[in-house]
Amino acid sequence: MISHKFVLNRACPILIQCAQAHRKPRWFPVAKSKIYRIPKRPQLSEEERLEILRITNNYKTQMRAVRKFYTDDMVKEKSTLESATSEMSQRLEAEEWQRCEELNEKWNKQIATEREERRKKELSEMEDFALARMEAIDREKRERVEKASEQIKREKELSETFISREKLEEAIDYALANPVDYNYAIDLKGNMHTGRDTPIQYENKERVQVSSN
Amino acid sequence: MMTSKVVKYVGRTTDFKGKTLWEIVGSLKGYGVGRIIVRHVFQRYPEPSFMKITKVETCPDEERRRVRVWVEKTFRGRRLPGLTEIYRTSYKTDYQLIPKDEEEKFMKSIAVHDFPDVILPNKIEMPPLMKKFIVKDHEKKGLEIIQDFVLPIKYSYSPNRVKRVAVGDEKPTVEFTMGLGKPVSPSLYEGVQLEDEICR
Repeated sequence: MISHKFVLNRACPILIQCAQAHRKPRWFPVAKSKIYRIPKRPQLSEEERLEILRITNNYKTQMRAVRKFYTDDMVKEKSTLESATSEMSQRLEAEEWQRCEELNEKWNKQIATEREERRKKELSEMEDFALARMEAIDREKRERVEKASEQIKREKELSETFISREKLEEAIDYALANPVDYNYAIDLKGNMHTGRDTPIQYENKERVQVSSN
Repeated sequence: MMTSKVVKYVGRTTDFKGKTLWEIVGSLKGYGVGRIIVRHVFQRYPEPSFMKITKVETCPDEERRRVRVWVEKTFRGRRLPGLTEIYRTSYKTDYQLIPKDEEEKFMKSIAVHDFPDVILPNKIEMPPLMKKFIVKDHEKKGLEIIQDFVLPIKYSYSPNRVKRVAVGDEKPTVEFTMGLGKPVSPSLYEGVQLEDEICR
């Protein structure tokens, strides 16, 4: 809400249309021009005073009567709503209960059939899943066995070249007889230049002499 | 304190005339037990209204304008049973002390405020619009339709009440209507057709 002071202090307060009553808000202090004003006490003649008193009392009596009527009405309505002691309401309640029970039975049956179907479906699905899983495990086992046997075969083939205790001497002799120098270089064409003691021939010799091993 | 005979009142006028109860009671011997005080505003009634102090209790410093006093109260010539406590209204500057030589006069002038033949009604006719509304409303709610359009009257409780309220089908001596009623001062209604204004 825009404060009253803000409205008053604006450059053009006419532009704002206030739907409020044109008066000082309650929380504003007494205006400076009214601060020491003492309102004159209304002087009523005796006739007028008595008549006003009578009218006011009459009005209060009337309003009290109307208010009491509606208060009693509300209380009565509330009590009848709250108390279900009357026979009518009890019968109605019993009928309502019966109807509710029947409806509940119906719903229960319907839900039971649905549940049976769902359980059957779930069971078959579970069986399928279990079978698939068992098959998968079997297959995996088989594959593993195959893989292992293959590896064994390969190892067996390789093991022919292994150096055994009997062949040890022979192998040592062979190694001593054929020393291998891995210190070679490769040129851009992929030719291998072996040996650290091999003399390098920079002349136009196309073939690089392979050192005799 | 400056004592001057001329009292000049400033501000709004008031119906009160007198002192607070403590101003009276605090300056009396034995807190004025046994003395008679009156409320000035209740002197407007023809029957005497006065109070006889029986017991006084002072109040702590925070309540310096108040005092707790028990009185035998006589309102409009009728003595109320038991003692009445004055505490909430004891600050009002409206209490006056009756001098001892005038007490006799007060006590003797008890003309009992009593209206034995006045019976107040316990029913009043409904307002005209309410009659129409209630018929429609009861039709809508499915209730039985009201035949006699009367409302029960409720009276606020007061220990000072003397007029009797009618019980059951007793015939009241005064009548309240929803209309203007019979004016007390007909001179105010000169040139006005009253019959048209009374809603019937």
